[in-house]
Order: sequence, then structure tokens, then C-alpha cells
Amino acid sequence: MAKKKEPTYQQALNEIEEIVNQLENESVDVDDLTKLTKRASELVNYCRKKLKSTEEELKANIE
Amino acid sequence: MDSFGLLEFNQHIKSILEKNLEKSYWIVAEIGEMNVNQKGHCYMELVEKKDNYIVAKNRATIWSYTFANLDNWFAGVTGTHLKAGMKVLVNAAVQYHEVYGFSLNIKDIDANFTIGERERKKQETINQLEAEGIIDMNKSIALPLVPQNIAVISSETAAGFGDFMHQLENNPYGYKVHAQLFHSIMQGDNAVESIVQSLHKIYEQEETFDLVILIRGGGAKTDLDCFDDYNLCSHLAQFPLPVVTGIGHERDNTIADLVANTRMKTPTAVAEFIIGGFIDFDSKIDGLSEQILSRSREVLQTNGEYLSNMVHQLKLLSQRHLYENASKLNRLEEALKLYPFQFIKNQRNHLNFLEKSMAAADPQKILERGFTMTKVNGQPISKTNKPKAGDKVETTHKSGKFESIVK
Repeated sequence: MAKKKEPTYQQALNEIEEIVNQLENESVDVDDLTKLTKRASELVNYCRKKLKSTEEELKANIE
Repeated sequence: MDSFGLLEFNQHIKSILEKNLEKSYWIVAEIGEMNVNQKGHCYMELVEKKDNYIVAKNRATIWSYTFANLDNWFAGVTGTHLKAGMKVLVNAAVQYHEVYGFSLNIKDIDANFTIGERERKKQETINQLEAEGIIDMNKSIALPLVPQNIAVISSETAAGFGDFMHQLENNPYGYKVHAQLFHSIMQGDNAVESIVQSLHKIYEQEETFDLVILIRGGGAKTDLDCFDDYNLCSHLAQFPLPVVTGIGHERDNTIADLVANTRMKTPTAVAEFIIGGFIDFDSKIDGLSEQILSRSREVLQTNGEYLSNMVHQLKLLSQRHLYENASKLNRLEEALKLYPFQFIKNQRNHLNFLEKSMAAADPQKILERGFTMTKVNGQPISKTNKPKAGDKVETTHKSGKFESIVK
């Protein structure tokens, strides 16, 4: 993930949703299951961090 | 033929006149000419006019002792000294002198007649101005809000002019007014012409001025007749700038006052009127700026409140957005925890099912249940491969196979 250009929040979210969809529909190869789940978890953390830092910045700007 | 010597003849006339005439008569006449000599005797020519033509004329005298009293008293009552052009009712005795001829000796004058006569004449002038439709013309001009350039018709030596300028220039509010004097003769026979000339001069630079002031000040017993003059008042009434009068008398209105846009009693009152207009305007401006200020404050406050509200909303909405995103992430994470295992479980089930299905389809198991399998010529039986007589048939069963021939 770090090798590529960092995705935007929306791009990350889209990717998570796509993976969850695939998992839900079971339209993935079992070989890819671990890789995809790991990728999705990383993206969730990435988004969490973004939310957190955005919230802090907002507070600093608005208060 | 009898004849007289001239003296004898004149004496004859004199005696006839003395016998036949009353001691004195009241006579209405106009003073045609009038002179007072060094000794104070007054010599007049009394006339009667018809359509501006003299139709009767007599010499008349008022001896100095009578004249001094009579003229002062007359001026006190009427506001005007005796003068040429005036209509009078005189009490006179007829005199006939052998050398100087016929004349009237005036002993008394009825001042009320002159007042009445003047009123009548004044009314005539007013009627004429009305009939011409010009009497209210100057009044219909709007007064300027703040007259800063004023044309003053007055005499530069008049006390009233000095009062006016002093009042104007020393107003306690520090208002600047530009007043330009158009020096004019303000009384007597030449006043009308002089004032009308000044009006013409002002008219030539009409755009320079906002207002015309006609002021006069001074003695109580001065002559106001010129301000009743038709020619002057006609000019005043039709003047394109508003005229304010301060002729300086309390007794009665002149026609100039009547036709003027605004009438003040004294020059000082005119100055106060002008300054008063400034004050009104000033306080109006003050009121307006106050309004602007409070209105702006209101606008600022309203906008401030609106902004605060927006900031509040911004906080609320952005927090909600973050919260929604966070809970969405939570849901996705839950799904991530669940789905892969479910997936694996499903795969496992599927495999089991496949295993079972495969077990069910195993031919050996079918044979074990007692079924057999038949092949014709090494091939399973089908529409195109039916057994014919002589064909070799192979039958497989639970524990082996055997061959047979079709009959």
C-alpha cells in the first residue's frame, strides 16, 4: 500500500466495499482470501487514521 | 364803453370772490408738483387727471408754520410725507392776489383720505397682479434646502443690511453663507427703478444664486410706497428665484411682502430664517447618519449571528459526517471478520456435498446394491447400439462379470 500513491479516503472506502462485496458474494478465489482480507483491514485502519486526523484538524480550525 | 384799470379789475374780481366764496373748501386733488423753499413755505401744483391728462390745475401754498406741523403729523399717521403724485383731500381757502393771481392756501389735510386712497390703489395693484395670474408665482417656487449663495438687494449703508450680514456671518454654528450685495436705493422716487435694475443684474447670473433677499432697515417714518409699486411687485412675483423680504416694518404688509416667496418682518429675522433652514437640514442629516449607523449595526449583528449559526452547523454536520464514516468502517470491519470464515465454511460444505454426490455416483456401489451393467460390443447400450442376434454382451455384477451371446 505504501509503495503506491496514497489513495483518497473515498478511493480506499470504495476498495473496502468492493472487497466486502466479493467476500459476501463469495466470488473470490480461496487463494486470494487472506490477501484480500489483509488488504481490506489495512484500508480500514488507513481510513480510521484519516477520520481521526481530520476530526482533530476540524476541531483546531473551528474552535 | 366803461373800462377798468387792471388793478381796479383785479380788485373787482377779488371782491366778488370774497363775497361769494365760503371761507374754505374740502377739495380732492393730486399733488402735481411740490417745492419747499428755504423759508419752509410749501408751493404746490394741485391737479386733477383724467386718463392721464390734466383736466384741472391750481397753484396752492402751505405757509411754513402750518406746513411744518401738518407734514410731520401727516407722515406720522400715513407713514409718508407729502409728496408729488399723492392724492390728497385738502382744506383750502381761495386766495386772489392782484399781482400773483389765483391760488389755494391749504390749512388742513385729511390724512385718512390719503390712507384710504393708498389702500384703494394698493388693492387695485393686487387685483391687477391677481388678474394677470402672477401674484403667487414666486410663492410656487420651492425654497432651496440650504441656500448658500444669496443675492441681497439693499442699501449698503442701511442699518438693516449691517444687521443681516452680522447675523449671517456670526452664526454660532459656523455655517458659511455667501451673500452678495446688489446695492439699491431703498426709498423715494428712484427706489423702484433702482431695485428693478438690481433684479435684472441678478437675473443675468441667475445660476449663481439660490435665493434673493430684499431687505431694508431703519427709521419708522420711512416711505414704503415703492414696495407697493405695481412694476416692482410684478418683477418680484415673476422672478425665477425665490424672494424673501425683510422690509423692516411691523405696521402693515406691502405688496412686495405679499408676492414674495417668504415674508419676514426684519432683516435680522431673514438671517435667522436662513440659518434656521441650515439647522433643520443639519439635524436631518444627523438623524440620517444615526439611522445608517444603527441599521449597519443591525446588519452586522444579524450577519454575525448567522455566521455563528453556520459555524455551529458546520461543527455539527462535519462531526456527523465523521461519525457516519466511522460507523460505516465499523460495519465493513465486522463484515471483513465474518465473511472470510463464512466463505471457508461454505467452501467446506460444498466440498462435503461434492464428496457425497461423488460417493452416490460410484458404479461399484450401485453394483453392490445388486444392480448390473450391460455393454454390447464393449459399448453401453444406446439407441444406436442396440443388441442384435449374435452380438456379444458383457454383464458386470457385484463380484465380477460374465459374457453371453444374443440369440
